[in-house]
Amino acid sequence: MGSVLQDLQDFIKLRDNFRNFINSSEVPSICKTEPCMIGVDEAGRGPVLGPMVYGVAYCPLSQANVLQNLGCADSKALTEIKRDEIFSNMLTEDNAFKNVGWIADIISPNYISNSMYKRAKHSLNEVSMNSAISLIKKAAEDGANIAEVYVDTVGPPEKYQAKLSEIFPNYKITVAKKADSIYPIVSAASIVAKVTRDHALKVWQFLEGLEMDHTEFGSGYPGDPLTKKFIREQIDNVFGYPLLVRFSWSTAETMLLEKAAICTFEDIDESPKKINMKSISSFFAPKSEDGIKTRKRHKFFEERYLSFDNAFE
Amino acid sequence: MSIQVENNLKKTDNKEIFQQKAHYMPCKIESDGPIDVKKYFDPYVVKNKETDELSGTFRGHPLDGKEMNLPEGYTAIVVTEAKKPLAEDADRRFQVAGGFKDLTYWNWDKKPSRNDSLIKAMDWIDIAEAIHGD
Repeated sequence: MGSVLQDLQDFIKLRDNFRNFINSSEVPSICKTEPCMIGVDEAGRGPVLGPMVYGVAYCPLSQANVLQNLGCADSKALTEIKRDEIFSNMLTEDNAFKNVGWIADIISPNYISNSMYKRAKHSLNEVSMNSAISLIKKAAEDGANIAEVYVDTVGPPEKYQAKLSEIFPNYKITVAKKADSIYPIVSAASIVAKVTRDHALKVWQFLEGLEMDHTEFGSGYPGDPLTKKFIREQIDNVFGYPLLVRFSWSTAETMLLEKAAICTFEDIDESPKKINMKSISSFFAPKSEDGIKTRKRHKFFEERYLSFDNAFE
Repeated sequence: MSIQVENNLKKTDNKEIFQQKAHYMPCKIESDGPIDVKKYFDPYVVKNKETDELSGTFRGHPLDGKEMNLPEGYTAIVVTEAKKPLAEDADRRFQVAGGFKDLTYWNWDKKPSRNDSLIKAMDWIDIAEAIHGD
């Protein structure tokens, strides 16, 4: 393995894998003066295991040929080895690192679960969009002279495009499906994201102490037999899963419902409140079943969930 | 029905047994028995150094927590029942298994505050003292 990839793995290993973190290049000085294009893409949106990674790559509009020379094309058509190679070249070849800058946002599986299981649920789309926006902002704040933005999307592009145009009124924004295979700058972003995600899985260390690695838990895609086996077998009755798993994925949810202790959190009713109308007879019947007038518990105790029940039942 | 609590740990040298760590969780867990908190829960508890507030995670849910002392003069004990009698009104015997002096309580995605029911429940201790004390 080349030293670039070794460095990447070492960098990832030093971070807490239950929190998000950023990895980035320096801003090439030419990108601070020349108008630049920036591409945005993601890797690992679907898997039930591991982080989702958002990546951006940027370079001067005038240096588009650098991307072609690197071989940035539809990253889905590239093998893992080829992606690793392009990423290494991007960081080491003179012509590349002097023109192309990049940032990766590693979004931990725990962050994804926690967002989707907030009281006010945060969808994966919101998490994704926030990451994309923060990366474009970061590139600009770090000094890149952004002029054009290209974003890959799986959903309908129109809404996304409108939102980005509102946030970045001075940039020319293009949101497209399969942008990855159309715009080399998006392919470059995609390679940054994919390579980062692949290596994050390779160096995943279980804080739970499981001695296991990616050759045993697989790619993380719910269809992968190794991943399926992991989801089926690595269950703790109370805690559910180690935090490599996205709890909020239906694959994991269904399995826990079936195989682990049921845990019930406070029910949050998101539908508008119904007005509870008391029947008129209720005002004339302040008696319990056996005809004895019951004394209502004082509000003080009710609010504090205090009662005089037998605790040992 | 009477309830008897036997304390066979009175003379124990193991002081830690009455200083165990307790977590008050914001969900109903339909399970009873030993669990590995150190392995699955503790590694993810992070303390905010400025506010002393804790964050954690359970079953993918974000938790906000706070360490809390039991009221002055109180201690908590954990009891087990070797065998639960079949008849409903039979006498019950429990054995002291340990205890704790402080606990960590957790809210689901809500900062700990004076309004949390567990904090407010402790008001009763002062009020009971005022009503029933000498």
